[in-house]
Parts: sequence; structure tokens; C-alpha cells
Amino acid sequence: MSALLDARGVSKAFAGVRAVVDASLAVEPASITALIGPNGAGKSTLFNCISGFLRPDDGRIELAGQRIDRRPPHVIVRAGLGRTFQTARALTRMTVLDNVRLAAPAHPGESLVSLVGRRGAVRRREREVTAQAHDLLRLVRLDGHADTLAGTLSGGQRKLLDLARILMASPRLILLDEPMAGVNPAVREELLDHVLELRASREIAFLIVEHDLGFVMQASDRVVVMNEGAILMEGTPDEVRGDSRVIDAYLGAHA
Amino acid sequence: MSILTSAEFWAFVGVMAGIYTLFTLGLQVQFGLAGLLNFGQVGFMAIGAYTMAILVAKEGWSMWLATPLAIGAAALAGVLVGLPTLRLRGDYFAIVTIAFSEIVRWVATNEDGLTGGAQGTINLGGPGAATQYNGQWERLQGWVGTRLHIGDRDVVMLLIVWSITLVLLWLTARLARTPWGRVLRAIREDEDATSSLGKDVFGYRIQALAVGAALAGLAGCFYAWQFSFFSPDAFQPLITFFGWMILILGGVGRVWAVPVGAVVFGFLFSATRFFDFAPFSYLDSADRAYVRLMVIGLAIIALVLFRPQGLLGRREEMVLE
Repeated sequence: MSALLDARGVSKAFAGVRAVVDASLAVEPASITALIGPNGAGKSTLFNCISGFLRPDDGRIELAGQRIDRRPPHVIVRAGLGRTFQTARALTRMTVLDNVRLAAPAHPGESLVSLVGRRGAVRRREREVTAQAHDLLRLVRLDGHADTLAGTLSGGQRKLLDLARILMASPRLILLDEPMAGVNPAVREELLDHVLELRASREIAFLIVEHDLGFVMQASDRVVVMNEGAILMEGTPDEVRGDSRVIDAYLGAHA
Repeated sequence: MSILTSAEFWAFVGVMAGIYTLFTLGLQVQFGLAGLLNFGQVGFMAIGAYTMAILVAKEGWSMWLATPLAIGAAALAGVLVGLPTLRLRGDYFAIVTIAFSEIVRWVATNEDGLTGGAQGTINLGGPGAATQYNGQWERLQGWVGTRLHIGDRDVVMLLIVWSITLVLLWLTARLARTPWGRVLRAIREDEDATSSLGKDVFGYRIQALAVGAALAGLAGCFYAWQFSFFSPDAFQPLITFFGWMILILGGVGRVWAVPVGAVVFGFLFSATRFFDFAPFSYLDSADRAYVRLMVIGLAIIALVLFRPQGLLGRREEMVLE
């Protein structure tokens, strides 16, 4: 089976500091891959390279065989790769419902030409999108907040909103950047359930940067460990757990 | 004080408020919806006014053809200004737009052959020709006046300007509620989050700039017809900031706040010219002209202190979390 995401030899430096060095990783369809490593290991930089927010200096990134490095973020999302951010990025002065509807792909109502020329199609799509957005909000149990401003949501609710919102874009792979950071145990369980459920029911693959190792071990099929910009090792949760190099990297010991 | 009760005077104030409403409506689309700090709006107004005047007076085009083209030229200028600059950070973009509007004004001042130069549109056909561009407009005004049995030209102008302004306000308010408007509001809030949801932020910013520029271009045409003559001096950067004052007075983010801001601004601006009582009577009339800017400045300071969202704006649009 060919990988859904295939990143090869990705490197990125900032003013001489090598943040990511010749990193390669693959994500299989409908799998959950965790990307772990100590602070400053280059996880977020690699994430930003994959999602198009940074342009890698070197390397090649493919999504389902289609090259996506050097493409801007919005094109990468449309190709089927969605992402969330470390701190939830709710659009606070818009309603919760509008946050989700915004992410709808191929909406004729977002084009000035169609607004004038294809008013029927615009109305139909907006009805469809609204129904779908309500479904997604029900999924993350935020439907009761649909018409309130997203700024009134709590931190945990915003994480759930981010997830519902990116689901609206119908991605085949979702990059979650520290979904568990600053989240209480109840929301943590909820997020974990959603990830497992979405993988099972919608065959969505996940690549997750996470410090919460309990979550990583519970959820992931594969674990990729980064240290000092490079991929240190890759394996199943059990393999990674028992590897002395990983323990060293985390504890900073130099054996 | 008789001028205070004169219909012509207030009709004039009303016409100017209508023109400023169109002008500021463009800023509302650009800033209120998309978060673009355009400090060069007057440049697009100048391009609209000059394109119309040049096509009619020099090329002999019909006003009915020249006006859509003038609006299109202003929109095109928006695209051309946006292409190299909209990737800049907000504050750099703002500086570039001021420079743009000054470039337009200086080109208009110095390209005598194209624009009539510093002497203005009267010089469009060359020295001594006393060129006019508003024959067709005058006939339209006359026709509307006859049909409605209104003798006063200023009142006819008032009706025409505000009819079109109200239609455009209504259309813009509708546009703001479409999915297109939703994307613009999202960009204003968080461009990275918006692009991570599949929206081409750069493309939408260009569109917002062009739509706002088109509105300024139309305002420029009305300005040209209202005065039957204009020169590059009419397009000082201050005009852009009058627009911003109106936007802040009325309220950022709400389309219908713009006419309210423009009418209040127009009233403050013209009412202060009647400050002929003490202590203002100690000042000569030229100094008093500056007093009105001070009055408007104070009104805005008071507004920002006590009602930062403007007269009609939503508080949550302006206040940080």
C-alpha cells in the first residue's frame, strides 16, 4: 500500500539554525501517527512545512502521489490535508456556526461572479453547508452554541470547534498540533474518542504532534520520534517506549 | 444666519454626505470587512474622476460609457496596487497606499497633456479652451428635475446621489452577509486560520481592495459632476482621512453605519462654519475653518473614549478580548 503522506528529505533552516534536517516520514491511509520529541526538536517546523505555512529548503512532500511542497496552505487543504494549530484558532468575532461554514470547500457563494450569476446554486450550497455544519457541531456537542460568538467558548470547546471546522473541509489527513495542550481530562477523552471514531468511520488519517505520551500510546499506530531536527526513530508505540535513544533524548542524557 | 435655513445649502451638505458615504463605503468593505488599512482611498477617487473627465472631454465619449469605465479603472488600479503590496504586513501596506495616492495626485499635477495639470480639468483641452465634461450630466439633471417638478438643481443632485448611494448601501449590506463576506471577515480576524481552511487570502484581499476602489471611483465621478470642475488639489490625503473619520464616527464593520457617520460628519463640518459668535468671532474666517477640524477631532476623541464602537457599530467588533 502506498503512503497517503510521503515526506522525504525535508530540511528547513532559519538564519543558519537547522530546525529540520533531512527528515522523512510517511503516513498510511486511515492510520494514526504520532510525532513526538523534546521541545525544539523541529516538530512544529516540520508540521508547518507539510501544511504549506513554511517552504522547505530541501526535500519533497507528496499527498496521495501529488506533490504539495511549494504549494500555499489553501491549495494543500483543498488537496485533502487539513491542520489545526497549537492554540485553537477560533474566529472569535464570528458565530460558532459561521466558523464551521467558512471551511466548506467549493462554495459558489464565495465567488463574486457566482453571487450574481448563479444565485440558485449559491442558495442550495449554503443550505447544504449549513446542515452539514450543524451535523459536525452536534458531533462535537457544540450545536447548542451554534449562534453564539466563538469568542465566548472555553479553551477546550475551541479545540473541539477547530476539529469540527477542519472536518468541514473533508480532509483525508488531519495534522493536529498538540491537541491535548491546555485541555481538561473530560475534553481530552472526548478528543481521543473523536480521533479514533473519525479514523474508523471516515477513514481519516491523523498525524499528531503531542507531548501527552499517554495519549500517544493509546491512540497511535506508529510513532515518529524527532530530536534536534532529525528523525531519531520510528516504530510502534511499544517499540518506541522501550528504546533507550528515545529515553535519552527526552531526559537529555548523553550515553 | 439665513444660509442655515436655505434649502440649497443643506442640499449641498447632503450631496457631499452622499459622496462621502460612497467613498467611505469602500473603506468599510476594505477595512470593516477584510481588515485592510487603506490610507490611499483618495487616489482611487482621483482615478475615477479623471478617467471619466478625460474620456468625455478629450475623447468625446458618452458619459454613459465613460462612467462604468472610470469605475472599472479605479477597480483595476486597486488590483494593480494590491498585487505587489498585499503580501506586506498591515502597517507597511498602509504606508504604500498613502504613497500611491500621492503619486496619483502628483502625476495629475504634472502630466498637463493628460489631465490639464495644476489648473485642473478646465485645461483638459489645452490652454484657453475652457473644457467641460459635464454637458450630459447637466442634461440628465435637467431631465430628472422636469420629471419630478423640482426646480432646484442641488435638490435634484441630492436625489440622484442618494438614490444610487442607498442602492449601493443595500447591495453592500447584502454582500457582507454572503459566504464571500464571511471569508473577508474571517481574514480580518486571522489570516493564517483562514488560509488553513482552504481560502485564498491574497485573492480575497485583492477583491476587497478592488471593490472598495470601485466605490471610490464612483464617488470621484459624482464629485466631478457636483463641482463641474476639479484640479489635483481636490485629492489631498486629508480626504482619505475624512473617510476614516466617518468610518470611526459611524462604526467599523457595519454597512449602515457609514451614511450615519457621513451625515453627522457633514453636519459637524458645515455647522461649525457658523461659529460667528464669541469666542470664535475673535478669529478670522480662515482660522475658523480650522476650528471645525478641531471640533470634529474633539468629537472623535470623545466618541473613542465613551463609545469606541462608533454611533452604530458593535462593541465586540472593536474591543479586544
